[in-house]
Amino acid sequence: MLAYSLPSDISPSTYVNAASLVRIVALGLISAAAISSRLFAVINFESIIHEFDPWFNYRATKVLASEGFYEFWNWFDPTAWYPLGRVVGGTIYPGLMATSGVIYNLLHALNLPVDIRNICVLLAPGFSALTAWATYMFTKEMKDESAGLLAAAFIGIVPGYISRSVAGSYDNEAIAIFLLMFTFFAWIKALKTGSALFGTVAALFYFYMVAAWGGYAFITNMIPLHAFVLLLMGRYTSRLYVAYCSWYAIGTLSSMQVPFVGFQPVRTSEHMAALGIFGLLQIVAFAQLIRSHVSSKQFQDLLFVSVISAAGLGMAAMVLLTYKGWIAPWTGRFYSLWDTGYAKKYIPIIASVSEHQPTAWPSFFMDLHMLTFLFPFGVLALFRQLRDEHVFVIIYAVMGTYFAGVMVRLMLTLTPCVCVASAVGLSQLIDTFVDPREPDVEQEKEGGDAAPSKQAAKKEKNAAPITGVGAIDDIVSTLSGASSPEKDKSGKTKAGIFGLDTRMVVLFNTAAMLLFFVLHCTWVTSNAYSSPSVVLASTNPDGSQHIIDDFREAYYWLRMNTKEDAVVMSWWDYGYQIAGMADRVTLVDNNTWNNSTRLTAGCAAHIATVGKAMSSPEEIAYPILRKHDVNYVLVIFGGLIGYSGDDINKFLWMVRIAQGVWPDEIQEPNYFTPQGEYRVDDQASKAMRESLMYKMSYYRFAELFGGGQVMDRVRQQQLPKQSPTLDYLDEAFTSENWIVRIYQVKKEDSLGRDLKSANGFAQGKKRKRSKPPVKRRALA
Amino acid sequence: MAGPKASSTAARPASSSSAGDSSAIQSLWRTYNDTTPSRLKLVDCFLVFLMLSGIAQFLYCILVTNFPFNAFLAGFGSCVGQFVLTASLRAQVNPENRAEFKEVSPERAFADFALGSIVLHFFVFNFLG
Amino acid sequence: MFRIWRVLLLVLSLAILSYARSSTGSSVLVVLDPSLSKDNYSIFFKGLEEQGYELTFRAPKDVAPAIIQDGIASFAHVILFTPETKTYAKDITPQSLVDLLSQNTNVILALGSKQTPLTSLASEFSLILPPPGTPLISHFPERDTPATVIPIPVSSSSPALTSGLAPVWYSGIPFALGNNPLLVPFLNAPAESFAADTTEDSGADALVDAAEKGGEGLWAGKDMSVVTGFQTVDGGRVLFVGGVELFNDEFAKKEVTKGVRSGNAQFAREMAAWTFQESLVLRIDDSAHHKVNETEPRDKYTTNDRIVYTTHISKYNPATNAWEPFSGLTDVQLEFTMLDPHIRTALPPVPSKPGEYSVTFRVPDRHGVFKFVVDYKRKGWTHLHSSTTVPVVPPRHDEYPRFLSAAWPYYVGAISTSAGFVLFSVLWLAGDDRDQRKKKGVKAE
Repeated sequence: MLAYSLPSDISPSTYVNAASLVRIVALGLISAAAISSRLFAVINFESIIHEFDPWFNYRATKVLASEGFYEFWNWFDPTAWYPLGRVVGGTIYPGLMATSGVIYNLLHALNLPVDIRNICVLLAPGFSALTAWATYMFTKEMKDESAGLLAAAFIGIVPGYISRSVAGSYDNEAIAIFLLMFTFFAWIKALKTGSALFGTVAALFYFYMVAAWGGYAFITNMIPLHAFVLLLMGRYTSRLYVAYCSWYAIGTLSSMQVPFVGFQPVRTSEHMAALGIFGLLQIVAFAQLIRSHVSSKQFQDLLFVSVISAAGLGMAAMVLLTYKGWIAPWTGRFYSLWDTGYAKKYIPIIASVSEHQPTAWPSFFMDLHMLTFLFPFGVLALFRQLRDEHVFVIIYAVMGTYFAGVMVRLMLTLTPCVCVASAVGLSQLIDTFVDPREPDVEQEKEGGDAAPSKQAAKKEKNAAPITGVGAIDDIVSTLSGASSPEKDKSGKTKAGIFGLDTRMVVLFNTAAMLLFFVLHCTWVTSNAYSSPSVVLASTNPDGSQHIIDDFREAYYWLRMNTKEDAVVMSWWDYGYQIAGMADRVTLVDNNTWNNSTRLTAGCAAHIATVGKAMSSPEEIAYPILRKHDVNYVLVIFGGLIGYSGDDINKFLWMVRIAQGVWPDEIQEPNYFTPQGEYRVDDQASKAMRESLMYKMSYYRFAELFGGGQVMDRVRQQQLPKQSPTLDYLDEAFTSENWIVRIYQVKKEDSLGRDLKSANGFAQGKKRKRSKPPVKRRALA
Repeated sequence: MAGPKASSTAARPASSSSAGDSSAIQSLWRTYNDTTPSRLKLVDCFLVFLMLSGIAQFLYCILVTNFPFNAFLAGFGSCVGQFVLTASLRAQVNPENRAEFKEVSPERAFADFALGSIVLHFFVFNFLG
Repeated sequence: MFRIWRVLLLVLSLAILSYARSSTGSSVLVVLDPSLSKDNYSIFFKGLEEQGYELTFRAPKDVAPAIIQDGIASFAHVILFTPETKTYAKDITPQSLVDLLSQNTNVILALGSKQTPLTSLASEFSLILPPPGTPLISHFPERDTPATVIPIPVSSSSPALTSGLAPVWYSGIPFALGNNPLLVPFLNAPAESFAADTTEDSGADALVDAAEKGGEGLWAGKDMSVVTGFQTVDGGRVLFVGGVELFNDEFAKKEVTKGVRSGNAQFAREMAAWTFQESLVLRIDDSAHHKVNETEPRDKYTTNDRIVYTTHISKYNPATNAWEPFSGLTDVQLEFTMLDPHIRTALPPVPSKPGEYSVTFRVPDRHGVFKFVVDYKRKGWTHLHSSTTVPVVPPRHDEYPRFLSAAWPYYVGAISTSAGFVLFSVLWLAGDDRDQRKKKGVKAE
């Protein structure tokens, strides 16, 4: 019985061809949707690189494009981290730049003169289309093509992924998520077929991933974990051995080619799991080999014992090496994933980054919308059939959820898994309700007295598992008369849905949910994730958009009005932007927490030095500025228009970081009032009022208010009517909304006096009379 | 690889110490000789050679110096990688395993093996010097 | 005989100095107190004019010629003989005089025991002046001049003064020196002198005050200076003289001991020569750096390179009004600095080439942005400062040693693995027809 009729005169090959055509068209449309929804920023503003980190990647790519690969490989940047310089070739993940470089050269070889900036801006949307395709392939291995299409559609527009891959967000994640999904797909394919070819492909894409993103450690631990769980479940097969070993051997060797990774795969704890599982697999394979030749039970027991003891020995060796220090323990930002309080105490730089804070509930909903509740349903559905690849997605789901809860930034790694699982669940739901076959009423009646409920329950249980064969194929085979194995096994039609009305209700509901999903995603993308943080937008009272372009105004001023080798000091957030847009030498930049595991003593001390200069009085800060040849100091101040991401709000982090290196000169409690409040008005503490940051932010601020109340819109406090004075710096530039303020460091006084007294003299103050210095000492 | 070697040396003396197990070793060897086709024996010889080469390099690294560590990793990794690829080939062409490898015929297995080895050697020589 | 030698020396030095010129210009403004007469200082002023300076005279209250107009100095040098003027025209203030100095104008300032605006200026130069009305007094040596007119012997330690000068008559105030390193004391008070408010010691308040405080606060002894120079960071020179009578004709003609004329005229001439940038004036002509076997400088060096740094220093020769290469500096140092000097080495003169100083050294093993810094500060001499920035990069990927002998087991291992793979593939493919009786092949190790 069919709930609705299907045409019966079409040959199966037509079905198959039509299905493939529909799939291809659907993938094309998904790619188009993925690309176009990421273009909001380009259309609203312009084709510009966003945020902070992408500016450095853009500079590096420009070097690669203009000077060639070997110059890029050996590039030493003397304008960053002045005067330490930065060996760029060995401290970055070059995958992103290399990709852009290849595309650039390819297009130029075809005589299409595309500017490198446009390539960089549009790389992320382009690769998001590829990610959608990779997710389709991955989910196809899990269930079937229809689930794959759903997954591709989800990941094409879901905000969790869009947030890091809009046009202009030229960061490592732009290509890394594609590589992640494709590596996982290759791994699953290798596992299913047992082919070393797919293992090699997985290893090659793993190498590309290692070259592209620091998050490759996720793959490095996910695949061994999967293999380990399969071993524990007793599902060891030669296919697992082939897939894992070919992936590990080639993948690890190739990952060490990236200079930034170097010898880490054999020396750090983050990579030891993979090595351990590799060893374990060798032992297990060898045991299997021996066992197949020997029948004596005693020998088999002995073998079992010796395998376990060998594994135990291996683990003990690893622990011993870690204890002795030959293998580095979990460090830095990876350790802070397990011990979430660690970073705040010991590495404040990591803790101060807003992306490293734990995730709040609203973020989950905003980034995933309805996938948040479809996701557990999908994972549960995967448990039903529980093939090897389903185990992988389940593990991925568990680990991904944990990490996403720990750090906002890692929502990104959870998102593909959520899309896959939700797609599988939703696809199963749709399959059940689209399938036109109705169950046979007679069948249930025949079961009759014995245990009709039990039989029905058993039939439902038989029907519940996900069909490996697609529902459409099933229908096709039914119509064409070929036998369907499902039906034959159970003997009769499986349990299903009666009538059209139920089907329509459920399907209509599902369609509405999907529509809402699309609306939500588009809205979130256009409003929340499409702002290039370089340009701010606000609305005027009459509703029109008011663009606040202070940053670029100030950087352009720097570029046009200062010497080419002028050194600019600012807090590290803005280092990349200053280097990219103003093209000036900077003291510290965003490369801090990127490198927290490789932070040299010089880099850490440099940031602490800048922090100390910002939080000390002028007389103490001035020698630091002169020692580092600083010509200009740049601060961000949002008190006039209410921009809350300014330096006074970040000031406590500067103090904390400086305190870490100079605990006896800078103490954080000194910057609070005696009651423990953080105030900038007349109750501000002495250390606060005299600090360089405070003076630079509020210099001449009171003049704007013409004698009335001086209000700081961000802190919502009233400033004293007398602005602070500056002796050692001259104001050089203040942008239109007072967001960016640039000060020039004065040269030393020509008479060798300290500048405070020199200024006093210039204003007419007289010195006190003093006596000649005493040369004699009193006798005891 | 240290793994299988450890287990085999752990297995052999342990088994030879108990009564009757020395004959188990001999019966193992006899079974092996009789049941294994000679193609697989060719593979096993290559495997043994690779294992010995790997052990030699590892001992050199520990006992003498690990100075050009990248060269050690390249040489050792080459032995290990080639070993696992060959072991995979052995598993795939073993007629007993046909049920597991539905999509990989022996010819395809060899092609995979060759491709994987070429990629491996490319990375090895890049890393060596 | 002694006298003849002295006279000859005087004539000779006068002859040498007669055509000297300053390196920074020859226009001099002389601001003269109305109470002082130009004719009383004719020896000094005529001497300056003979050397080629153009003197312009004005009174303190005159509006024209202004020493600084629209922020630009009008004269190359200024002489302020105004120890008693309390009010000046608008263009002369302590602040404007400091401004002048920053534009490399040189100034001679005469102070006095009256308090004038110039006393607040002097304290900016870390000179500590005595209370007003306390001139320098010395009762020794026995002489027939009043106690405030003192003959001071000239020590020859300063390179600006020729040795063997006769003692100098002085009348004025002493001052104590603060610890500003830019001060260059030329003439210190005699050890037995002190500053007091009257010559009758019994009534001197300053002495009573100082005695009550155990001797503190008395401007006395040889640590007090009477003629001090000051060289600003930019190179301008100032001369502080405690009393204007040092320059007048009467003191110049007075005899110190029987038959020996005072050294005032020559002393004044040499002090003016120093202040007006004639003597002890150095400059760095250029500096260059290159790798040891090359001639052109590179825009970046690699760690552990050997580099040659060369600089050329000239000294101004007032007689010929030209800059001549000068190899007389034996203690010039070069620093190769990145935040702190990583290398600090002597920069010796090259014997065969006059004026050239050169050193070869090895770049440290640290990469970064380094500076070649030559920072030469000696009292009396012009400050030399030169700073050249150069990046030092780590070796390129192909500059490391390639085939290491310690690694040959690994090379052998890797090559044997590849060879084994090829051999194995050949054997495998050759035996592909399903019935085997294959030779195992010899495997080399």
